[in-house]
Amino acid sequence: MTDAADAPPDVLRESLVGPTATRMVLGILLRRLRESRNISLERAGEAIRASQSKISRLELGRTGFRLRDVVDLYELYGVTDRAERATLLGLARQANTPGWWHVYSDVVPHWFEAYLGLEQAAGVIRTYEVQFIPGLLQTAEYARAVIRLGHHHCPEPEVERRVALRVHRQEILRRPRPPHLWVVIDEAALRRPIGGAAVMFAQLQHLIDLSELPHVTIQLMPFQAAGHAAAGGPIALLRLPEPELPDMVYLEQLTSALYPERRGDVDYYRDIMNRLATQAERPAATPGILRRILREL
Amino acid sequence: MSQDPSPALQSSPEIDTTVSHSARVWDYWLGGKENYPVDREVGDRIAETFPEIVEHARMDRAFLGRAVRHLAGEAGIRQFLDIGTGLPTVDNTHEVAQRVAPESRIVYVDNDPLVLAHARALLTSTPEGATDYIDIDMHHPRDIVKAAERTLDFGRPIAITMLGVLWHIVDDDEAQSVIDQYLDAVPPGSYLAIAHPTIEVTGERMAEAIRQWNKFGKPPGIHRTPQQIAAFFDRLELVEPGVVSCTRWRPEAAPYGEPDEVDLFCAVGRKP
Repeated sequence: MTDAADAPPDVLRESLVGPTATRMVLGILLRRLRESRNISLERAGEAIRASQSKISRLELGRTGFRLRDVVDLYELYGVTDRAERATLLGLARQANTPGWWHVYSDVVPHWFEAYLGLEQAAGVIRTYEVQFIPGLLQTAEYARAVIRLGHHHCPEPEVERRVALRVHRQEILRRPRPPHLWVVIDEAALRRPIGGAAVMFAQLQHLIDLSELPHVTIQLMPFQAAGHAAAGGPIALLRLPEPELPDMVYLEQLTSALYPERRGDVDYYRDIMNRLATQAERPAATPGILRRILREL
Repeated sequence: MSQDPSPALQSSPEIDTTVSHSARVWDYWLGGKENYPVDREVGDRIAETFPEIVEHARMDRAFLGRAVRHLAGEAGIRQFLDIGTGLPTVDNTHEVAQRVAPESRIVYVDNDPLVLAHARALLTSTPEGATDYIDIDMHHPRDIVKAAERTLDFGRPIAITMLGVLWHIVDDDEAQSVIDQYLDAVPPGSYLAIAHPTIEVTGERMAEAIRQWNKFGKPPGIHRTPQQIAAFFDRLELVEPGVVSCTRWRPEAAPYGEPDEVDLFCAVGRKP
């Protein structure tokens, strides 16, 4: 379904958090303008002295905008309305303002940055975890133990920076209008005592507390649930508050990450998340199961 | 949150992606993302013959918003039985009701596994109120009432909403019997809200859209006349303005006169 072109207020209904989502929204507005004027990527590229693939990347929100490029583009598209021009420029300025995580750039690998930006802007965050408690639900002590596992020779101050970043990410859950976090956790992640029994005890207690929050949904996948849909690794599916923006899939690996973007791929991972959610224990059962595991620890 | 119903009453947990399902096609028309290729294909096919369907879906949701606001506001209702929940979208029943009265208690009923998984995760209550989810086919009112008693007090008024679902009970007598069983279970002062497709406004075009639906989608459905919809309210006092197109039910004040009619008619009635 296509929506009417030229509708910035529609897209701007929700306030945007951070540069990543802002870039995507600005890209969509510029693409709509270009298409409604029947202007080719090539011609738009010429207007900003760039290739058509550069325009393509800009419209997908992959790269930042220079203000001058935005001005040249709205001139080319014949945008004369002052409010509309101001909206486009305002978005471009916002998109160039670094997110809070910029100060952690020493411990944020480039492949993680896009995820971080989207996570901070998302309306719904769905994740599936096999090995570990999801980052947004970790205690600092558990996070420290996980980080030490992955970075054996990492000096202590750097470990602490990584812990601080993870704890900072969790602040979205305490925002006045927090995102909805919906996770499915495999039983293996609950049983493996990362950091020792005391750390794990506190971590499971923390999960019970967080599961009481209306915007946090935790479903557990028991060992007995044989053969569920996701093979091995963790999956994250992010939905931004702007209904026009596509869902984003994030697949973290050991030294890099994948962001599959083809519609068929995103559909596939969304289906996996849906099947996991229908196969896992219901959210209401979570506190009881966690208490049982706590007793067995 | 209370316990879930006994396993015997639950439908199969498998998501069927081989046939288009009404909640998912509806989600597609509303611009949602929880739909599958098979749903989009049928959704597009129907929208080709009947482009207004997208607007109809929006107007149905807008009616839900105004009806629940009225029930929680003026009518003072604090308990809702939402039959045929559908996939979460903006302004779901508990959000509208709890904006008016945070202590509102809402029970969502559906038997689509995808709807239930999303409802349990995303249609969650304020701390003051409650939400619960029942996995039972709407054709079984007694089982549904029994399960809803975990959350709702059937000694106090309850609003029952059946928006865009009653058309799936194609037999008139059965539809009436299902409604009667729900109404028998709730005390005087309770309400019933229905929205139902008609062919009053667009005639043969809506009839064709429904034929298309029955050819490719699940479960099948029919249109009814406004008189037939009114008959469902025989035991009840109709709330003004009675049985009308969804867009004309207590519309918000607009400077452009009355909104255009759509081929979804609705009514709200009170049990005396």
